[in-house]
Amino acid sequence: MSKTHHLRLPLSADDIAAIHAGDLVYLDGDIVVTIGLPTHQRMIDCAEQGVPLPVDLQGGAFLHLSSYNRESDTPSGYEALYMNPTTSTRYTAYMPKLIRAYNLRVIGGKGGLDLESAKAMQEVGCIYLSFLGGGATLLAQSIKEVVSVHWEDYISQFRLVTLRVEGLGPATVGIDGHGQSLYDNIKATALERLPGILEELDRTRLQKTT
Amino acid sequence: MAISSELIRSVTSSLYEWSLKMVPDDTKRELALAERRETGAVAKNTFKIMIKSADAAEREDHLVCSDVGVPTYMVKVGTQVSFSGNVRQAIVDGFADLVEGIQPPILKMVTNPLTLQRSYQGRNMPIVTFDMVDDVDYVEIICAPKALGTGRWESIETFVYPSLPTIERYVLDSVLKAGSQPCPPIVVGVGIGGTFDYAAKMAKECVLRPFGQINPEPILADMEQRLLKAINSTGFGPMGTGGETSAMAVHIDYSSGHGFTPVAVAFNCWINRRTRARIYNDGRVVRIE
Repeated sequence: MSKTHHLRLPLSADDIAAIHAGDLVYLDGDIVVTIGLPTHQRMIDCAEQGVPLPVDLQGGAFLHLSSYNRESDTPSGYEALYMNPTTSTRYTAYMPKLIRAYNLRVIGGKGGLDLESAKAMQEVGCIYLSFLGGGATLLAQSIKEVVSVHWEDYISQFRLVTLRVEGLGPATVGIDGHGQSLYDNIKATALERLPGILEELDRTRLQKTT
Repeated sequence: MAISSELIRSVTSSLYEWSLKMVPDDTKRELALAERRETGAVAKNTFKIMIKSADAAEREDHLVCSDVGVPTYMVKVGTQVSFSGNVRQAIVDGFADLVEGIQPPILKMVTNPLTLQRSYQGRNMPIVTFDMVDDVDYVEIICAPKALGTGRWESIETFVYPSLPTIERYVLDSVLKAGSQPCPPIVVGVGIGGTFDYAAKMAKECVLRPFGQINPEPILADMEQRLLKAINSTGFGPMGTGGETSAMAVHIDYSSGHGFTPVAVAFNCWINRRTRARIYNDGRVVRIE
């Protein structure tokens, strides 16, 4: 049975343990977003060289959300106009390292991640959230302010941006901290069903083939 | 009378903006039907927020998705039409106007594949194709920005004298490969035959076909129906987190060719970007969708 969780960041491993794949989540607090491949590489380089990141990710949320941040007269110097998820599998090669290096509690985007990431998530106690692709208007409503923008040498959506959000969601828990992944379960089910699906395609074909 | 480049410029700019801020009516109807049909809580909820997102973007004059894609236009030119001024340049200028003026502003998506530099412009941008249509006095312009979510999963393979089961299997395999990732429920367009480039063009045009038309070729009408059912039996569901609706439509076209038969599979995501307008020779502009 799907449960709904209202979570305030930062989170502990115990908080994460209470959440299961298929649950719904709303987030409050500070999230860090980026969709840059070079940004991911730079974060790994920082971890390997012992250089601290300009943002605090401990117990936090690191999300594959693309955001438009415009310069403005605010404490951070920016205002956020909207944000929206991108496909997380683009970062498959980076995510296990990042999850372990920064002890991430919440990651997300859309489309899921592979089993290597699910394994790392289980080790540290981390969930993956699926946000609505094509949800730019709705997701923007939860942004309260831009806390900081770092690595400004990149284009807007590649920067390391911290946003303060209230009620960001609902997001579906795609992978939980117990090793359960909706994505892998669904894919496995689809492959199990494939012989039957192909049989049905053949059986019902108007034009009989020999 | 002649169609001015200023008019083409303003219409191409508007078409792009509409495509970013509105989900087509037939697609919204299909999403609402799917929401009612789904039985699982996760799928039902996802469809609810999809509908809410489409409504919110339209009401607030906002973007549905932040990935505004690569600008693509298909132009169908009637033989009874005449132009004053340049056409291709007008479309380039129309896109530049859009980038300059749209609110909220859009992110840089146009990418140079050699340097990975991102910009609002680039070589061959926007991508424009032209076709002639006999005996009509209008230009029809279709705008369908292509984003990464579905763009990266489109595929083409060339077979030699393939059977219908081989073709159908290829379409299904392409959908399985994309799996949870292309923001389902998707629209699937398939082009069979002709040549490599033409099969891809057919697939793209098929994606942009409005829902509910019966394919005049009985073999394809049958294939569309069966493949839709097959795809919806996979279980990927909305946003790939499970459900009974993974595709809203399968549209297929074919062309005679040689014994080598390219099969191209194109996709649109659930927001199904697709806008279309006609500019008549007397200057009237009719928005089709």
